[in-house]
Amino acid sequence: MSQRQLGGDLTVAGTSAPVRSREFVGEVVGIEPIMGDAAVLSVDVPMTVVHGLRSGRFFEITCRDEVAFDPLLRRPYSVYRIDAERGRLLFLVRPFGRGSAWLSRRRPGDRLALLGPLGNTYDIGPTSQNVLLIAGGVGVAPMVMLADEAIGRGLNVTFLMGATTVPGLLPATELPDRVEYVVATDDGSKGYHGFVTDLAADYVRWADQIFACGPESMYLELRTAIGPHRIGRRPTVQVSMEREMACGLGACLGCVVETRHGMVASCIQGPVFDLDEIIW
Amino acid sequence: MSDELWTPDLTVDLAPNNPRELRLANPVIAASGCFGYGQEYAGVIDVERLGAFVSKGITPEPRGGNSMPRIKETPAGMLNAIGLQNPGIRGFIRKYPKLWARMSVPAIVNISAETVDDYAMMAALLDEQPAIAGIEINVSCPNIARGGYCFGWDPEMSADVTRAVGAATTLPLIVKLSPGAVDVVAVAEAVEAAGADAISLINTLVGMTIDVHRRRPTLGNVTGGLSGPAIRPIAVRMVYQVAAAVRVPVIGMGGIMALDDLLEFVMAGASAIQVGTGIFVDPGLPIRLIDELTEWMTRHGVRRLDEIVGAAQPAAARQFRFAGVETAGDSA
Repeated sequence: MSQRQLGGDLTVAGTSAPVRSREFVGEVVGIEPIMGDAAVLSVDVPMTVVHGLRSGRFFEITCRDEVAFDPLLRRPYSVYRIDAERGRLLFLVRPFGRGSAWLSRRRPGDRLALLGPLGNTYDIGPTSQNVLLIAGGVGVAPMVMLADEAIGRGLNVTFLMGATTVPGLLPATELPDRVEYVVATDDGSKGYHGFVTDLAADYVRWADQIFACGPESMYLELRTAIGPHRIGRRPTVQVSMEREMACGLGACLGCVVETRHGMVASCIQGPVFDLDEIIW
Repeated sequence: MSDELWTPDLTVDLAPNNPRELRLANPVIAASGCFGYGQEYAGVIDVERLGAFVSKGITPEPRGGNSMPRIKETPAGMLNAIGLQNPGIRGFIRKYPKLWARMSVPAIVNISAETVDDYAMMAALLDEQPAIAGIEINVSCPNIARGGYCFGWDPEMSADVTRAVGAATTLPLIVKLSPGAVDVVAVAEAVEAAGADAISLINTLVGMTIDVHRRRPTLGNVTGGLSGPAIRPIAVRMVYQVAAAVRVPVIGMGGIMALDDLLEFVMAGASAIQVGTGIFVDPGLPIRLIDELTEWMTRHGVRRLDEIVGAAQPAAARQFRFAGVETAGDSA
């Protein structure tokens, strides 16, 4: 398992195998509205990029015109879904800042500069039967890919999704049929009226593992909500940490997360962390 | 003869006055803080093709670095306040020299400290190590003995550090200047006199942004170092001024993103350049710069890089320092 870290000593920890990353060009083949102002961006990429790709890994995408230097830094995007047969990556994009707004304006035929795959993965344990997935807002992206993986392995999947209002919810048709899909909205306009994390408590004893992706505030709520129902550190909880990033390769140390093992780079030793390893 | 076969000579010696030399196959260097310890980009680019790389800044003791957030994108640039997160000089020595011994690209160690003695202590330890091509002294640190006033802002303090390091090692020494100095030329002259083999500039400029939603500074450290294309004109100006005043090789850096940017620094007087933020944005950039520079020199009949170093300097400065420089304009 993980090794003790001193600053800058970036031995890859965790159970995910290191990944071979590279720069490549993809071609946009579609951009389809899916929920609220978010869309699914489909990008044709070299087959080798998609091969063996697992949920949690991400790509850094240059979000500006080729001749411009603004916005300067690439934007990290986790993978929403893959189409292994066509060599296609699907990303969930939503205009939020300048980079994401640029990406949301892409059209079929446009070319994108990508770097990846980067980071580690969500890890489903070999003995897990029941998995609980929790998504907040556009944090739903890697959870959809994880649901595909879990269903592919024949596991029982419950997928909890929270959003501010109905348009922010993932349509149920996006998930495999066998997934139990439960939604919550902050305003009660659909499903449970309140935070999605309130729903999690009911599943703690059932779940062998919990996986989550959303804002950090959601993880804190989750920790509080499930705490009384857990036995020790069971079930384990894996969360993906969002950080502003520069290099994506562990060189700049701009995206660190403070863990029990020290300050570790979320781009190579994350973005997926054990909830209990993080110092909040 | 136009049909004569030749390839341009991109080699450069950054320590011509040092018997140990610092000979590079080409003038493109990966900058400190932007290239880890030479391992992080190994799968993404061919590190061996670089002229050299400079390690992340090493300090006497291990450092965990600053609180988050540590980076913030700014117009055509970025602020960083990593806080020198590193395993300390001893942790560094345990791990990296033996990894570097398997590489042929020159590896330069960047060092930072808060006392003159600590700089010298680190240099003495590095002197005994294999596979280290040189030391880059980061003088942009607070001097504890002088109330935290930055070494690099003061010519005498910068010279003290340079002398102490030079007494502790025979390795080639590059002093990396801070753009925050009141008179950067005075600092350059002082470190040259104190024994610097080369001078690199510029380090980042201190800046900050405010998160208006939180009504607080964005960075955990409040201030950070500004880098990227946004600072390039300042860097070119400082390289131009320093290169006219010293005789040791100058290494220019600050927002290089393309061949023309590299050429600006070279024509301002830099014998080599470093790429930093540009690598974050575009990991393939340094290798592309080498290829494009080779192609450009071939097309323009420039056989040695020396021929264009300082080409934009006034004639008087070229006579003082850039004896080899002749441009088409001069012969007209």
